[in-house]
Amino acid sequence: MLRLSAITCFLALLALGVAAPRGAAPGAAAAAAPGAIRGRVTLPSGPATSVDRPNVADVTMGAGLPVDRRSVVYLDPAPRAAFDSRDEPVARMDQRNKTFVPHVLAIVAGSTVEFPNSDRTYHNVFSLSKTKSFDLGRYAVGRSKSVRFERPGIVRVFCDIHSHMSAFILVFAHRYFAVAGEDGRYRIDGIPPGSYTVMTWNESAPLDAQRVVIPEGGGEVELNVNLRKR
Amino acid sequence: MFPALHRLIFGAACLMTAVRAAGQGLPESPLRTPDGRLVVSAEAVATIGPTDNEAYFNYTDYEHDAMRLFRLSASAVWKPAGWLALASEVRSENLEGPRVYAAYARIRPFRDRPFDVTAGRIPPAFGAFARRAYGTDNAVIGYPLAYQYLTSLRSDAAPVVADDLLRMRGRGWRPSFPLGSQAVEPGVPLVSGFRWDTGVGAAWTGSTVQVSAALTNGTLSNPRVGDDNAGKQISGRVAVTPIIGLVVGASGAAGEWLARGLPAAGSAQQRAFGADAEYSRGHWIVRGELVFSRWALPVPLPPAQAGAVSALGRWVEGRYRLTPRVFVAGRIDHLGFSRLTGSSVTLPWDAPVSRVEAAAGYYLRRNLVARMAVQRNRRDGGRVRGRTIPSVQLAYWF
Repeated sequence: MLRLSAITCFLALLALGVAAPRGAAPGAAAAAAPGAIRGRVTLPSGPATSVDRPNVADVTMGAGLPVDRRSVVYLDPAPRAAFDSRDEPVARMDQRNKTFVPHVLAIVAGSTVEFPNSDRTYHNVFSLSKTKSFDLGRYAVGRSKSVRFERPGIVRVFCDIHSHMSAFILVFAHRYFAVAGEDGRYRIDGIPPGSYTVMTWNESAPLDAQRVVIPEGGGEVELNVNLRKR
Repeated sequence: MFPALHRLIFGAACLMTAVRAAGQGLPESPLRTPDGRLVVSAEAVATIGPTDNEAYFNYTDYEHDAMRLFRLSASAVWKPAGWLALASEVRSENLEGPRVYAAYARIRPFRDRPFDVTAGRIPPAFGAFARRAYGTDNAVIGYPLAYQYLTSLRSDAAPVVADDLLRMRGRGWRPSFPLGSQAVEPGVPLVSGFRWDTGVGAAWTGSTVQVSAALTNGTLSNPRVGDDNAGKQISGRVAVTPIIGLVVGASGAAGEWLARGLPAAGSAQQRAFGADAEYSRGHWIVRGELVFSRWALPVPLPPAQAGAVSALGRWVEGRYRLTPRVFVAGRIDHLGFSRLTGSSVTLPWDAPVSRVEAAAGYYLRRNLVARMAVQRNRRDGGRVRGRTIPSVQLAYWF
């Protein structure tokens, strides 16, 4: 139900960093004042909980778990200056109450993500995504394992023990992205003047693309996004 | 065997390619209504192996071979209220008409207490294996002998003398006896892994302990919808998790197992005891289970006047993930039987069976796995004493 279509994945991969920047001219970014894009992403209504695969052999009552279906807004292509960064930050995706927290994580390629287990049960984080395939095995509360994500793309993360546990890690080749807040608000700062396509990704909606121009004098551009239902 | 193996591998490769292509459009998560109250999932398992209509090592009844089976199943859980869930599973084997595998109501009478009551065709309270989801959880392709192998006992027909039973050694797929039904029917396993019993159950789940019990119409060997015997079965299990990753369980069951048509001298019960353990860490899972069953016979069997026979099934299995997509697994399994004195010889009343199975699997997708296994069976009796069975399997679920 939450799957990405092949086309969406392809478009997203392109947008996540494979495409070359075509917004600002080389050198122009240094002279002009940077701008910002802010706004709000509105989601189509839909289930806000994840469910276990029905296991009729289970003798106890299961429960739906809330899912934080946040959106990620990013530039496509990114300004050329965006690729100069050599930071390799560390991010964190917790396993708490049998959910991944956060459910959606956006990072720069080269980042390391730690996966601590905060539950009093085993978890087994793994991914079969083409961008990054890994299996951390089973480990108990208080322990943490980490994975370095070198390539841009979308990585779907699961728990091998708890079928309802899933998360997304969006790996970008640049730093011009933002994860929308609980209220859907987002902000991307420090954008050089130029013309860009702003992409909005959400697991339950088709990829949205809108054109935005950051004027030479910089300033804020407001862009609200209403995502359609997949 | 080798041409057959080559055909199997070629067939499996073609099937995997086709399924992988088709799999791009298949659902990945359970289907659900917008309010989340109704959740539907399904499983399709195709197992290809050579025919085994001489030894019947993996038959689950006279028609179905677990190593050569196409099974479709659909499960649904509807929660009309927070305290009530209605669950069902329907299965079809080899594209035959569907049959109901599970259909029950689950009630949580106290909102804040992890105590649940089930009624209908309910999950078994005995043992660990029967509660696992086959496609996702079975390490290899075959089933443990105690949950699948057909012994030469029948609930609707019985021997009169010990030689009647000894003559049926290794013929659990089609035993016949002088007493009771003369219809051709298969024998019973220690515990049926393919049918659930009907009745009421209760389970309490604590932080480290789970206790479950059930009162049902049939028995472990012969689960039933309608009652055909002289009493109910009571079964139960206690499972403890002393440390994260380790689960240790103990089970017991007792119930009348003979059909009413058979003249029983007194109470004829199947009594069973089980012990199970699972330990997992890193990329390993190791499991072991032991099932002991004792069946009272309707009449004492001369010459030694044996009033009951028993069997002990035990196995260990392990699975190791080599990479995110590739795993290897194996199971060592044995089923032994108590000795019975006939007119000229004393032997185990059924032929003891040993089984070793090695498997490797590849996850094409998270919910689409291809397995390849080789199973070696050895039996101390019957017209076929041993058989090596290669098989391949594709299992898909959402």
